[in-house]
Amino acid sequence: MSRDTHALPEARTWREIPQEVGPRAMSGEGRRRLVMRAMRFTMGLLAIALVGLAAWGAFSVLRENPPALPLAARADRVRSLVLATDGVLDQKWLARTLAIPADATLMGLDLGKLRERVMGDPQVSSAAIVRNFPGTVSVSISERSPVARLMAQSGSGAPQMLLVARDGEAFAGTGYDPAMVSSLPWIDGVRLTRTRGRLAPIEGMKAVADLLATAKLEADNLYRQWQVVSLAHLSSDGEIEVLTKDGMKVTFGASEDYLRQIGRLDLLVDESNDPTRPLRTVNLALGSQVAVSYGTAAPMLGEPAAGSLPEPAKPAGAAPDFTIHIDSHREL
Amino acid sequence: MSSKTTFIGAVEIGTSKIIALVGEYTGREVVIIGCGECSARGVIKGSVVDYRAATECTQAALEIAERDANERIDHVFLAQTGGHLDGFYNEATVNVKAADNMIEADDILRVCELAKSKELPLGRMVVHNIRRPFRVDGRLVPTSPEHLVGQKLEVGYWTVHGQEQRLADNIHVIRGFNLEVRELVISSLASGHMVTSMEERQNGVLAIDIGAGTTDYVLYRNGAPHTTGVVAVGGAHFTNDLSIGLRLTEVQAEKLKLRFGRALVQSRDRNEKVWLDGNFSIGDRQFPRQAIETITAARAWELLEVVRKRLGQSFAPESCAGGVVLTGGGAKLPALAECAAQVFSAPARLGEAPAYISENLRDPGFHTALGTLYYGVNALSERSLAGRRKGTFLRNVSRLFAST
Repeated sequence: MSRDTHALPEARTWREIPQEVGPRAMSGEGRRRLVMRAMRFTMGLLAIALVGLAAWGAFSVLRENPPALPLAARADRVRSLVLATDGVLDQKWLARTLAIPADATLMGLDLGKLRERVMGDPQVSSAAIVRNFPGTVSVSISERSPVARLMAQSGSGAPQMLLVARDGEAFAGTGYDPAMVSSLPWIDGVRLTRTRGRLAPIEGMKAVADLLATAKLEADNLYRQWQVVSLAHLSSDGEIEVLTKDGMKVTFGASEDYLRQIGRLDLLVDESNDPTRPLRTVNLALGSQVAVSYGTAAPMLGEPAAGSLPEPAKPAGAAPDFTIHIDSHREL
Repeated sequence: MSSKTTFIGAVEIGTSKIIALVGEYTGREVVIIGCGECSARGVIKGSVVDYRAATECTQAALEIAERDANERIDHVFLAQTGGHLDGFYNEATVNVKAADNMIEADDILRVCELAKSKELPLGRMVVHNIRRPFRVDGRLVPTSPEHLVGQKLEVGYWTVHGQEQRLADNIHVIRGFNLEVRELVISSLASGHMVTSMEERQNGVLAIDIGAGTTDYVLYRNGAPHTTGVVAVGGAHFTNDLSIGLRLTEVQAEKLKLRFGRALVQSRDRNEKVWLDGNFSIGDRQFPRQAIETITAARAWELLEVVRKRLGQSFAPESCAGGVVLTGGGAKLPALAECAAQVFSAPARLGEAPAYISENLRDPGFHTALGTLYYGVNALSERSLAGRRKGTFLRNVSRLFAST
């Protein structure tokens, strides 16, 4: 049975008695309460109206006179820039990067935009910018450390040396000691892509950085001989190839323990210290096996060089024979 | 202070005095924070006969209570009494709709509507619809019968109704103070709620509130009010009887009643005299104590007899284990409990307010106002709970499916 079919007449209840009483029937106190209630209601309406009016006024002022608001918060001009870094970047770099106009005030600065400028240098991994009243801008940055370098060429432009950090970011490298830079091995066999004006991080650099760090720490004599590190077979075969200054090619397995491989290499180099049979290739990526090939002795002074012999080593810091071309990736 | 806190005024417009209480209601509990009392004018037998005088007195009591509480009352629960109040019982039976005979909410709603649908005479309005326990195939169900299995569902309502003009007069007295009457509570239910325990109500108890102009009574059975009623006789009639019998003014008669009145005759000495004032002032007179006791005892016996007759078959001592509980200002008459015990053949006692009521409000004269506040709060919270239940999303969805 639906509700409609059994709808019954309901008896009238006391709640149907109208409770509205005219002011004439009210006592003095009742009328006073009525007036007070009306006043409270009116005051409430007035308060709402005032708040609305104030909001509308503020909106109008902002719309018609936009600079009026910053005037109230004007501060002194920027007098100094303070840089705190864990790397090599200096005050000049900061001034050049921020490019703050001479007449800029502290409150007039757009800190977000300034931070974008600082972060625009790939050498900077993180940055924080704060205002220090009355006129100082403090910049705290954390820098990337280079682990290798590469020679890159964009289009038909001149080749440019870039440093590569552990996370694969390539950057120009401002303020580094040239001796330190020249001690870094070159990177080869990678693909550089520019996206939105910035080079994309090189894939697999973490594995290379681990290898280089292990070599530098455990076998510095070997590391100093490494000239080129190739990532050409890293993604496909999991191998990192190192070309030493004396022409030896060493293949490391990226999934093997670097310390053990470097230990074997060190042993091999020590054991085969025969100038007549120099090591040509060493493959350490075969698990427990090591494949070694030997070459012939280098010609004596005054003898013509044999074609099969490795080319003489280049001086430290010299540019390599190869350059890596940068592909421009166009974002849609 | 919480934004949900409301200040409720409980007002009893009595024949001899008007009491206003202020309760601070937080949504969970009520704390009485103010009390105002004023001698009544313009009220006879619980009904307003002089609007202006009654308004002034009521508002004086409300103002005193507000000053005492130091807060403004938001709305009022009003106690209602008077000879115009009457009640009747109406019951309804429905066959359970579901094929598996499981009672559903719709069955309950239907039987309740049927039981309440009795038409009232012209000019009468419902004050309370008091539901008695449900019965499923004759079996008593003290709570909701939903999801029980049975073929027939029965319920009865005790409907209290009153004369529209009298109810409106009382409400307008409060509205004259620009306060809304949120609940109307009949005095018998209010005082009965205050002086009886849940256990007594379950076992059966009769509460009698003897006021100045009226006597209100409520008989509880199975935990719910079974019958209520009002007799237009109260303490003022005792005074009036003395005034006529001893040829005294009402003030003098009231004085004698309070000092020497009894519900049972105790004095055996016909020659024992008592002084009217007892202060050796000029005009002080002597009256026989036995005469005073005889007059008040006769009226007390008669009053209780009237209540017993009104209750009729509803009252049986064996079904009223809680006995008779007396309250109201008139219940302070000495030996009234013994008198009631004889009339009703059941144990009788003077009602006391629960222990959580403060000492200054424990006088029987405050029980109706106190009960109005607590009963009103209960009714209000039950109604708001029912309203919330009714509006739940799931319920609406289930109804939608049920109707399809």
